[in-house]
Amino acid sequence: MAVASRRIQTEVLVIGGGATGLGTVWDLALRGFDTVLVERADLIEGTSGRFHGLLHSGGRYVVKDPVAAKECVDENALLRRLMPDCIEDTGGLFVETPDDDPEYADRFLEGCRASSLPVDEISVAEALRREPRLNPKIRRAFAVPDASIDAWKTASSLARGATAEGARVLTYHRVVDLHRDDGAMTGARVRDERSGEEFDIEARFILNASGPWAAQILHMAGIEDVGVIPGKGIMIAMNHRLVNTVINRCVMPADGDILVPIRTVSVIGTTDMRAADPDELEVTQDEVDQMLEDGERLVPGFKQARALRVWAGARPLFQDARAGEVADTRDVSRTHAVVDHAARDGVKGLLTMSGGKLTTFRLMAQDLVDAMCDQLGEQRPCRTEEVKPPGNEDGEYYDVGSRLRRRERTMADDELICECELIGRKRLEEELVRRWTTNLDDIRRLLRLGMGPCQGGFCIYRATGIMHGVERLDGEQAALSLHHFLQERWKGVWPILYGDQLRQARLDDWIFQGLLDIEHLPGATA
Amino acid sequence: MNQHDVLVVGTGLAGLSAAVRLAQSGARVRVLAKGVGATHLSGGTIDVLGYTPERVERPGEALAALPSGHPYARVGAARVAAALDWFKTQFSGGYTYTGSLEENLLLPTAIGVPKPTALAPVTMAGGDLRSVTEVMAVGFRGLKDFHPALLADGLSRTLPSVTARATELHLPVERRVEFNALGLARAFDQRDFRRTVITELTSRLRPGEVVAFPAALGIASPHDVWSELEHGLGRPVFEVPTLPPSVPGMRVFAVLRDALRRAGGSLLLNNVVVGAERSNGRVSSLRVRVGLREERHGADWIVIATGGFASGGLALDSDWTARETALGLPVAGVPEPGARRFEPQYFAAHPIARAGVAVDDRLRPVGADGFENVLVVGATLAGAEPWKEKSGDGLSLSTGHMAAELVLAESGATKEAIA
Repeated sequence: MAVASRRIQTEVLVIGGGATGLGTVWDLALRGFDTVLVERADLIEGTSGRFHGLLHSGGRYVVKDPVAAKECVDENALLRRLMPDCIEDTGGLFVETPDDDPEYADRFLEGCRASSLPVDEISVAEALRREPRLNPKIRRAFAVPDASIDAWKTASSLARGATAEGARVLTYHRVVDLHRDDGAMTGARVRDERSGEEFDIEARFILNASGPWAAQILHMAGIEDVGVIPGKGIMIAMNHRLVNTVINRCVMPADGDILVPIRTVSVIGTTDMRAADPDELEVTQDEVDQMLEDGERLVPGFKQARALRVWAGARPLFQDARAGEVADTRDVSRTHAVVDHAARDGVKGLLTMSGGKLTTFRLMAQDLVDAMCDQLGEQRPCRTEEVKPPGNEDGEYYDVGSRLRRRERTMADDELICECELIGRKRLEEELVRRWTTNLDDIRRLLRLGMGPCQGGFCIYRATGIMHGVERLDGEQAALSLHHFLQERWKGVWPILYGDQLRQARLDDWIFQGLLDIEHLPGATA
Repeated sequence: MNQHDVLVVGTGLAGLSAAVRLAQSGARVRVLAKGVGATHLSGGTIDVLGYTPERVERPGEALAALPSGHPYARVGAARVAAALDWFKTQFSGGYTYTGSLEENLLLPTAIGVPKPTALAPVTMAGGDLRSVTEVMAVGFRGLKDFHPALLADGLSRTLPSVTARATELHLPVERRVEFNALGLARAFDQRDFRRTVITELTSRLRPGEVVAFPAALGIASPHDVWSELEHGLGRPVFEVPTLPPSVPGMRVFAVLRDALRRAGGSLLLNNVVVGAERSNGRVSSLRVRVGLREERHGADWIVIATGGFASGGLALDSDWTARETALGLPVAGVPEPGARRFEPQYFAAHPIARAGVAVDDRLRPVGADGFENVLVVGATLAGAEPWKEKSGDGLSLSTGHMAAELVLAESGATKEAIA
């Protein structure tokens, strides 16, 4: 039985280590609140780490949802200034394919103007010059300031910034209960998922930023029927940058209509299906086939490229039966909404953020903390529009060659551990010092180790060897970590194994099963 | 168009075994291959049968008990034994193979897992964990493909009878901060390097400890390197396979390639077989892409040894249909489009795992007419799970060898009939 050996006291407890939660803890820290963030797994292991990587220009929403579009326009410009090190300035194109309704494009242009979205219609020839792989049968093309954003870099920067301002960010800490005294929240009981230890966190206020898991958290506070519906979307990462510009189909938002170049890959997304449980998102063969077909419409020959990995994310869709009691006026547009549980459920000291999207995480955090300040009657102005989180000081965007340039400088004096993603041994060892983890999957998210074409075939043994060599892992942990990594990786690759990627997977089998025989490593199949 | 008795497609263990065996019996043989084969990936041991799924101690007995759909059922234990004996005779000058179908050796992998294998080069056989008790695993800083502490820890955890520890040497190799097993092997080919290794290690070893090195003890004359280390350190020394490229696998390739050339055969790389001309139920010639050119090679017999999905001998398209890539032979064992090909658990038995070209008792493809003179061998064959069973090397060697014997018998019979 776990014994409460410690207790943490804080002003504000943030639940959820996605972009919203991290934006919130960064915002709170800058306003001088003493804050603790708890995340049940690794940072952005939920929704924020499972999106396509698109920093919206707003173009996608100008017709369907002008309020959301305007938010994106503003936040896109702000984030480009505040967090350039996390952004690649790819630009974006909206293209009308032969399958698309030709009337939509004019409505799109009109909508861009109404939302002050800078848009530039370019000739088809110019679009094809910029993106030679694009379907040559497109009829119109519009350039917009879409970009791709590295969610892991973003998360890491926000967490470092908040920590430097005094906040505590606790990963692998799961909320197991919420404490309520009369009509007010007083804190939470959390479990350290690594040690099994349970302890209490006392807090004056709880901000629930758990996205599609919000209902599970609220259930612990005795609050039911909050209409959080996980909306499943699948995405496929294709090897290579099939395009260097974000490509959107110029249609009402639908499935498989965005192709995002990010780092060394391009990601196609996405679908939208209601899911019963955000932890049970199955990828079906039909969805994969559909997504590949959709890719063909944008880039002919798409299916001949290697599909590296498929995954599903859960959007935090929000459809509250008691929508009239939602505090924020933005709820009309269904962009994001702060749910005021004092007004809705008579529970003080608790707010839930619902809906939203990664592009507007900063605004969501601002709205959430503003609402808390209102309840506390303690006005402290938001500073996240002005202060850059760490790592963004030089004001330069990253580009696809950034890692290679850095790597070339150290080529002569550092081992290359992951050839696909150009990760050196020193970088890995630095990260091991900075973050205490025994989980190869955490390393994957931190450094993109194992995210490239070989999906960890070579680098995972090397990384395990290095972590074990610096005594971060003992033999048993190394076995568990290897097995966990292989299984997690397999989840994302088996539905898309065909062509050269199947060949790659068989080579990986050769290494993992034939040469190393991880299957018979004791403890590995625990 | 040039004409040969036999064209072998693929230059892995299966293709080379077939080609060398044929050439040594006087057949005019040419090997056509896209690139070097899977020898460069394999650990250099001949794994015949390691798991069924229980660990196999006596592979000769276990393979006789395999179900009829398994390719070993086409070969039979006697032919496997003959192939192993033949393989052993190809090695001379000290670097020889030891072992048999009687009992599997138990050799450590790089993470310290005991792996059953039938044959191993003498440079590895000393690692047989049935007799080893104290091990020092030696690594080299910069060889990122071999981590001695993982090996030692794995061994200690796997086998209570073994005590293992690790050490790492910091020595200049190729004047580079990182190098692979081949780079290290070239360093070991230098006498000065070997002497430095011996000097550095001597003080670190305890009495009774045997020494595990990454499988990189020389590429030019591995036996000399290994025996010099054994003498210099005064104790048994053995190699453990690393991540690819595999130095012991490259040694196998070099030995068989040289044997092929000595016997008058030829090997052409960058020659991709893309199809065949057929007449009278037989393949008369192969269409071969060489760069942008297409050439024709004619032969009486064709041996397909292009490997499985890993080597490109089989391919699964994005519409989920599979094909054999050289001749378009039918592929058996692929789930229908829409049916599940893989299980969500990585180590599960995947429905597609045994896919390949199905053959009859004479290794000819079934379900395809017009390929009377085509034999299919190695990882292209349906019915096995090479990595799970640890059977890939044995299958390639024995089916390659068997194909050669079948061709020799049938062409001999034809010649007699004509005479």
